[in-house]
Amino acid sequence: MFDITTFAQLFVAGLAMGSVYALVALNFALLYKAVGILNFAVGESVMVPAFVGVILLTVLKLPFLPAYVITLGVMVIFGVIFQRTIFHQLRERTFLSILVTTIGASLFLRNTALLTFGADPRVSPNLFTVKSVNFLGVFVPPQYLLIIVTLVFLVIFQYLLFEKTLLGKKMQATAQDRDMARLLGIPVDKIILITFIYAALLGGIAGILLAPVFYVTSDMGFSIALKAFASSIAGGLGSIPGAIVGGLFIGVVELFCAAYISATYKDVFAFIILIAVLLLRPRGFFGEKVAEKV
Amino acid sequence: MPLEKTLRIPSYLAAALLLVALPLLIRSNYWIGTVNLAIIYSIAVLGLNIILGLTGQLNIAQAAFWGIGAYTAALLNTRLGWPFWATFLAAPPMAAVFGVLLGFPTLRLSDRYLAMATIGFGIIINLILQNWRGLTGGVDGIPGITSPVLGPFKFSTNASFYYLALVLLVLVAMAQIKIKNSRMGRAFQAIKGNELAAELSGVNTFKYRVIAFALCSAYGGMAGQLFAHRTKYVSADVFFIDMSILFICMLMIGGTGSVAGSIIGASLLTFVPEWLRFLQGPWAMAIFGLAIILIMIFMPAGLAGLAQSIGSKLAGRPEPEAQPGFRAPTSGNMGAAKRNK
Repeated sequence: MFDITTFAQLFVAGLAMGSVYALVALNFALLYKAVGILNFAVGESVMVPAFVGVILLTVLKLPFLPAYVITLGVMVIFGVIFQRTIFHQLRERTFLSILVTTIGASLFLRNTALLTFGADPRVSPNLFTVKSVNFLGVFVPPQYLLIIVTLVFLVIFQYLLFEKTLLGKKMQATAQDRDMARLLGIPVDKIILITFIYAALLGGIAGILLAPVFYVTSDMGFSIALKAFASSIAGGLGSIPGAIVGGLFIGVVELFCAAYISATYKDVFAFIILIAVLLLRPRGFFGEKVAEKV
Repeated sequence: MPLEKTLRIPSYLAAALLLVALPLLIRSNYWIGTVNLAIIYSIAVLGLNIILGLTGQLNIAQAAFWGIGAYTAALLNTRLGWPFWATFLAAPPMAAVFGVLLGFPTLRLSDRYLAMATIGFGIIINLILQNWRGLTGGVDGIPGITSPVLGPFKFSTNASFYYLALVLLVLVAMAQIKIKNSRMGRAFQAIKGNELAAELSGVNTFKYRVIAFALCSAYGGMAGQLFAHRTKYVSADVFFIDMSILFICMLMIGGTGSVAGSIIGASLLTFVPEWLRFLQGPWAMAIFGLAIILIMIFMPAGLAGLAQSIGSKLAGRPEPEAQPGFRAPTSGNMGAAKRNK
């Protein structure tokens, strides 16, 4: 009963979901690489913009463009606050204490959102009027295609940013060795702030893209973040290409496993992959290029 | 004899008397039930203290070990008719076996991988508990767990269960103080201080990390077994990752590394939401989240560390070294995790 159309449809849907995981994993990997923290509040940087977007679109009835621009603006502020209140205060502390603090931040943001917006899931209006488009003979919702295209665009953008601009070089230098970067005259604190803002914007884009195809709830970010953690381990913790490949891989495998093995255990597969990777190849597909700093 | 020492024995006696008389003082059945819950959480948090407080590794799956203990007890009790004391001997080792199974592969890696692996493990266990209907009853859970019986005495009321739980808590707390000051405890603390230095000083860091992890999960399993026999019913929804995070909050607020802090933190986070009725559910969780952030920033040694520094100020002694809750890093931003494997 294998059906090639179903297979292709699952594949595209998996890629779309995987692209969201990849975006979040990218965010996670970026902060790990740049400042050496595991940010467990990464999911909330998807949930917050999803809520902001939905409120602007449905309650204030703004058109799409201004709503999305304002949402991204809010995320810039979010990034600044996050960096100032958490990372900057704890920058001399251990890895573990920052990790626990981000868990606290996640708990705080999730429950504050629950108190503010209630437990009923919200539905974002869809940018596209058509339900599905014919893409190479497979019918897929256009939002899925938008998500995949955006990911491709962001990957190219990030490559150009890091490899071709001075700002990107400074960000890389800061990530590799903060003290050395400082000696070279790079304004390290400012660069770290910019990195946090960039990460928050990535979360903002993920939230905006996800809102129309996912129920917007206070827990949405957390459940996606857990999959993104699995993705970044699968791809290799701290590896940018690893985050993307890992995210796509988890997205596709998860949907296939749900369809062909067990729908009940859909959410288990990502974590089985996580544990299997840790057992067999702890450095993931791509490994950690930057050695842990001593 | 210094005043402090003269007062020590009477104050211990007073504390013991107070604890024994507690059910008579409280009288409300509901509140004694809450005290029992606080004791159970304290045991789980004491377990977490071994791995996080003493050894400096993060376990975000303590609720899963708690759940494994609870389900082990529930299944053995309801299916095979094992009494409390038999499940008491079975549940902690069962949780420890899972702890070692998880710990063995991941403890070789640095602590960040362990954090991720425990998250994944906790979620897998929770989903299995929820969905494996044949074994765990799925969302319906397992009802009909019996109360502990000792000779002619049945611990079926909250007040009688309290004494049983209290004795167990005192025993595991004393055991932990013993562990802390033993060769093994010093090895744990050496790993936390600087793993590489510990290894170079001849500490078999891998062995001790596995032992710490096994102990942590065994404490969790024990708390789960008590929980199952206290509520007489288990269902998967309580053993979720949020509970693991709550255990971490309890430890952080009480003070990592401190036995008293673990118990104070667990009791406080059990009682505060009960006292302040409006502080239920999401309110409590949001405030706990905020509390973690503020505590990590302003008092990383928790309440126990705060009490200690106030105590030494009053006694006119120099401040103790910053409690090893979270050690200041030696250099760079990676702190304790310097091993690159």
